[in-house]
Amino acid sequence: MKVGLFIPCYVNAVYPQVGVASYKLLKYLGLDVEYPVDQTCCGQPMANAGFEGSARRLADQLDEKFAGYDYVVGPSASCAVFIKGHYQELLKDKPHRCLSEDRVYDICGFLHDVVKPSSLPASFPHKVSIHNSCHGVRLLGLSSPSERNIPYFNKLRNLLSLVRGIEITEPERPDECCGFGGMFSIEEDAVSLAMGRSKVQRHMATGAEYITGADSSCLMHQEGIIRREHLPIKVIHIVEILAQGL
Amino acid sequence: MGSREEIFEKLRANTAATYDYPDLGPLESEALTYSDRAAAFCESLTEAGGRAVTAPAGTASEDLAAFVAQTLSVEYPGVRSVVTAPGVDLSGLLPEEVKLSAVGDFQSPEALDGSDVAVVRARFGVAENGAVWIDDFGKYRALLFIAEALVIVLDRNEIVDNMHQAYVRNELQAPRSFGTFISGPSKTADIEQALVFGAHGARSVTVVLV
Amino acid sequence: MSTMHSRAAAGFLKDGSHAQWHDDTLWMVRQKRDRMSRRLPEWEHLRDAACALKMYSNSHLPELLAQFEHNATANGAVVHWARDAREYRETVLKILRDHGAHLFIKSKSMLAEECGLNPYLEENGIETVESDLGERIVQLMHVKPSHIVLPAVHIRRQEIGRLFEKEMGTEQGNCDPTYLTHAARKNLREIFKKADAAMTGANFAVASTGEMVVCTNEGNADIGTSLHKLQITAFGLDKIVPDLRSLGVFTRLLARSGTGQPITSYTTHYARPQEGGEFHIIIVDNGRSDILAKKGHEKALNCLRCGACMNTCPVYRRSGGYSYTYFIPGPIGINLGMLRDPEKYSDNVSACSLCMSCSNVCPAKVDLGEQIYLWRQDLDSLGKADKIKKAVSGALNTVMKRPAVFNTALKLAPMVNHAPRPLVYAKINTWGSGREMPRFATRSFNSLWKKGEVK
Repeated sequence: MKVGLFIPCYVNAVYPQVGVASYKLLKYLGLDVEYPVDQTCCGQPMANAGFEGSARRLADQLDEKFAGYDYVVGPSASCAVFIKGHYQELLKDKPHRCLSEDRVYDICGFLHDVVKPSSLPASFPHKVSIHNSCHGVRLLGLSSPSERNIPYFNKLRNLLSLVRGIEITEPERPDECCGFGGMFSIEEDAVSLAMGRSKVQRHMATGAEYITGADSSCLMHQEGIIRREHLPIKVIHIVEILAQGL
Repeated sequence: MGSREEIFEKLRANTAATYDYPDLGPLESEALTYSDRAAAFCESLTEAGGRAVTAPAGTASEDLAAFVAQTLSVEYPGVRSVVTAPGVDLSGLLPEEVKLSAVGDFQSPEALDGSDVAVVRARFGVAENGAVWIDDFGKYRALLFIAEALVIVLDRNEIVDNMHQAYVRNELQAPRSFGTFISGPSKTADIEQALVFGAHGARSVTVVLV
Repeated sequence: MSTMHSRAAAGFLKDGSHAQWHDDTLWMVRQKRDRMSRRLPEWEHLRDAACALKMYSNSHLPELLAQFEHNATANGAVVHWARDAREYRETVLKILRDHGAHLFIKSKSMLAEECGLNPYLEENGIETVESDLGERIVQLMHVKPSHIVLPAVHIRRQEIGRLFEKEMGTEQGNCDPTYLTHAARKNLREIFKKADAAMTGANFAVASTGEMVVCTNEGNADIGTSLHKLQITAFGLDKIVPDLRSLGVFTRLLARSGTGQPITSYTTHYARPQEGGEFHIIIVDNGRSDILAKKGHEKALNCLRCGACMNTCPVYRRSGGYSYTYFIPGPIGINLGMLRDPEKYSDNVSACSLCMSCSNVCPAKVDLGEQIYLWRQDLDSLGKADKIKKAVSGALNTVMKRPAVFNTALKLAPMVNHAPRPLVYAKINTWGSGREMPRFATRSFNSLWKKGEVK
């Protein structure tokens, strides 16, 4: 099976190590993985801000790039869900589509549901608090949404439990929004900050050394607060933990 | 064109897709049930801030009124006035100093204000939420809401598991002028979400299971 | 880049301890709701059923309303129709005037709020008293409800204590909730007795029986309507439900979702007028029939008005009801405001991080977050798109649609890391108001890949 690695724009620019870890991890697990070069952005920031029209061209571009791959896998739940949830509508006028929704995965969902590794060489002797990001939880099903009366599950926790020496916790209000929300974080900066501060505080209250999750965007927002307020906690994308030792 | 016709016309014009009445059967049959409905009812009622008192098993039917009267004296010591709804007769069973009247004796619903305890019968109870169904008893339904305390007599064999069962009971299908599910006392949390009983209606509710 | 909501929210958040208390208080209600929902293994199926029932009833409104009218009339009620807020207000006033009523006692009705009933009646010489404790508090304070189920949830007990000292002669400095509640009970009991007529809103109108169903915890609707011969009940036509069987579904969801109780203290069915009295029912459209035709927004009519979406909304909890410009705040209010008048209420569309908690909490499965996303797409054509946001989106798009431009940007971006702080953290950069900027990597993933450094 041929896997196309999807690297969201801000991961490309700010967290390239997350992309590198994703590649290493997929490669280690024996997958035929490639990076279709010169990717930019999936269009989500514009669409969530109300400019879906601008996203159309980007959707088309991305669709084109991933023609011929069996899976599209990227280290960002939110971007994956945007492709899954909106491309069909955005690209409805195209003669044929190369991307099919059920082949687009966030890397955690892909590892958990498709690759299903039973062990990893990773070791991470630290206490981590899982950041259950909204779109990962409520749109991609990476964990059971706290609002729903369904049995508890958490794919991130399951994956992290393959790592030696790790201690895994989740904060109180385990899937309350951290307040990033794309341009929401700028337009509603006061509320966004209040949400982010309380989120970071709740992660800290677990005694964790790291906040980890499937969305670098939420982590970027929280990291901004952590650095500004010099808080004793760090952020790390989950693939950086899973790819330890590779 | 009158408003009624105008509204209907707009509704007809704007209704796009139509949807069928769903099959509620599977939900109704999987809905929560209880092995001991009376016990579940008492638990739910307690949670709703009410009290449940059960007549000892084997109490003869002619002694039930006496048990209700006794419960009333125990639960509401110092009560001065008791008003009964049709179907409840406590005459000769309460201490002399208690003024006992029937709701039909009153000339206006306002006159019921100041009643200490109202004693009424419920048709049935609901285990999942501690509610009882009470419907028409002639004049002055205000009694249910205006008395300081409410004592409700409920046949322990007349308890359903949940609201699905409640709404298909025969009592609900009969025409009525008024009916109400009452679950525990009147309550509010409008001040800082602090729970307070006795907002407007009964400050306390005791259900006597007979 | 700001909206009336974001500016008001910033104001709300200035009092940090009050904001925190507001958030905690509403989160507590959300937790109570969670506990209740988890006790029912069939919870998710209940939500499915409620949604399906609403989809059925909202797509059969003419039939169900006609059936309701027929049955209610047979019960002896008088049915009135109001196409809009004005007709509703005038109908209420006319009924009251026909009966020579001067003092009017009301239980909580968001429809009355929507239609501006109280000020209209007051202008026309009818003294109107709210009987729900929270509504009474906001009425005496001359402010609006800040939540549809918990109207006074933003007010601290000390303020209520001071208000009641003035209005009800309570003890100075006593702000114990039990004491204050019972003082209001006593005070309102006298008004209940003196009033000439009583009004309620409705939670459900049952087509098959012609009954109105009203759910309260306080019993205020019941006292009001059982003391007076004249009862007026008004409902928005989306409150129609087909039959009693469907109430089995709705009554199991409403209070569990709204306040975290298995059922409200009182769930009362009003069918006929009291002996010798009159029962007037007003069926109000006021824009509801238009919602049916709004593609992608039809499910807004599913709303049971339980308030669960407000309690769960991280933005509502941290910005308060008054930060929204529509009288209903929170996720459902953002949507209903846009359905009412998109040009007037577009400032609320920013109040959403698209976390989708509301869509998952809603007992009737209104797709609240998804609809807010749709409204955002409409802002530009309404001429209501934020200019800076539009420019930023446009600029981003310009960069992103050309990989070469993006790659150049990736190369240049790290310079920002070293730019002078005052420049980067200028006031216009609201990200930087409380957060450090992300640090751009010196080598982007694109560049690492091309150099063969990703192995």
